[in-house]
Amino acid sequence: MNTNNNVYTVIYTSIVVVIVAAVLAFVASKLGPAQDANAKAETLRQMMSAAGIKPTEELYAAKNAEILQLYADNIEEAYTIGLDGEKNGELSISQDKIELVSKLKPQHKAILAEGDATLPVYIFKGGIAVIPIYGAGLWGPVWGYIAFCPDCYTIAGAFFDHESETPGLGAKIKDEAWFREKFIGKTVEWGETPAFRLEKNVEATGATNAVDAITGATMTSKGLNEALNIWFKAYEKHFGLGAFFNMLEGLSEAETVNDNEEE
Amino acid sequence: MAQKLKETILNPILKGNPITVLVLGICSALAVTVQLKGALVMALSVIAVTGLSSLVCSLLRNTIPNRVRIIVQLVVVAMMVILVDQILKAGEGTYAIDKQLSVYIGLIITNCIVMGRIEAFALGNKPIPSLLDGIANGLGYGLILVVVAFFRELLGSGTLFGFRVLPEAYVPNNLVILPPFALILLGCIIWVHRAIDKDLQEN
Repeated sequence: MNTNNNVYTVIYTSIVVVIVAAVLAFVASKLGPAQDANAKAETLRQMMSAAGIKPTEELYAAKNAEILQLYADNIEEAYTIGLDGEKNGELSISQDKIELVSKLKPQHKAILAEGDATLPVYIFKGGIAVIPIYGAGLWGPVWGYIAFCPDCYTIAGAFFDHESETPGLGAKIKDEAWFREKFIGKTVEWGETPAFRLEKNVEATGATNAVDAITGATMTSKGLNEALNIWFKAYEKHFGLGAFFNMLEGLSEAETVNDNEEE
Repeated sequence: MAQKLKETILNPILKGNPITVLVLGICSALAVTVQLKGALVMALSVIAVTGLSSLVCSLLRNTIPNRVRIIVQLVVVAMMVILVDQILKAGEGTYAIDKQLSVYIGLIITNCIVMGRIEAFALGNKPIPSLLDGIANGLGYGLILVVVAFFRELLGSGTLFGFRVLPEAYVPNNLVILPPFALILLGCIIWVHRAIDKDLQEN
């Protein structure tokens, strides 16, 4: 057969492409659920690491099914809020149908200008609130999860991840436990600009809303700093106000205690 | 016949090593050799892609129209690469490694070894020798990858497969982690290889 014939060439390539497309479509549809489950478990691991549910190594050693179980056991409430700080949706937390708004990608940066958003808030047992952040590192996206104490003001924990930051430099945001542990006990100054500072030599100033940037990872640190501040701005109305009410509640409780003592 | 088969398998690993002798597939050798685990998965992925692509192209070799053969090869290789990537993403244990290797799994398609072996060997040989040739070339590539990754992880992080080997007092060398050091290391490997194998030395 003359394989150099035009008709043969066109038919041959068409058939090859159709077969390959069919194989890939079939495999993608078969493996899709497993991939989604992996991605979801990964997100849950990172959120629970930030919330301090279990040490990060244990979370990463656990099977996907155990992670779902652990999440279902520890989550109390999950909802979305708008930029006005008001609730605008609920996220399912039942174990077989866990809903997440894990990556904020489409809303990155433009979010503050648009005024329309669905920002997820995950409340774990003990009133620990976890929010995701998303931004640009040196080589690719960086993201993370910040957990707040019930006072909505003190950071209870953090977890950061990245797609392709330089190993040994920018990748330290994920690899080095001491980096994320530095955030524990720090505060976010809601309403101020910047609300948080991840910069060079800021810890020495004694500020509680500051963590020193990583040496040799200037661009990654800058990107993360920007990401933190963008999302803190976006969540400001929710937590800033929440913190205010919590404080009032705390004061009134203190008063009742005092009253009781006087009696 | 047995002799020829043996040569098909051994040649790419030693005398005709794709990285140290043919200097193909250098880019990914620099990029994914920071940690042994990643390098090993990358090596296995490349072995699977070179082997299977060579097999399929060899099966099709008498039907492929000559004028579009590169395109057909590319489609076959691309399919294999996507399959490997999808399977890695779906495995519970391999998901994290796939994430770590990120784009480099997808970039196997640009690895000259794959297309090079199909053009040079698979299109002119029967399926089984082609499969073996593909696997052997993947092995030759993987071997160098693992050697480079061994030194880079050891000196750059003080660990092997994530386990601490060097004492905590060892200060990791940041240069080792960056791609230029992989190139230096690769140069040293080529040097050693040539010093041992006199046939490779030019006059």
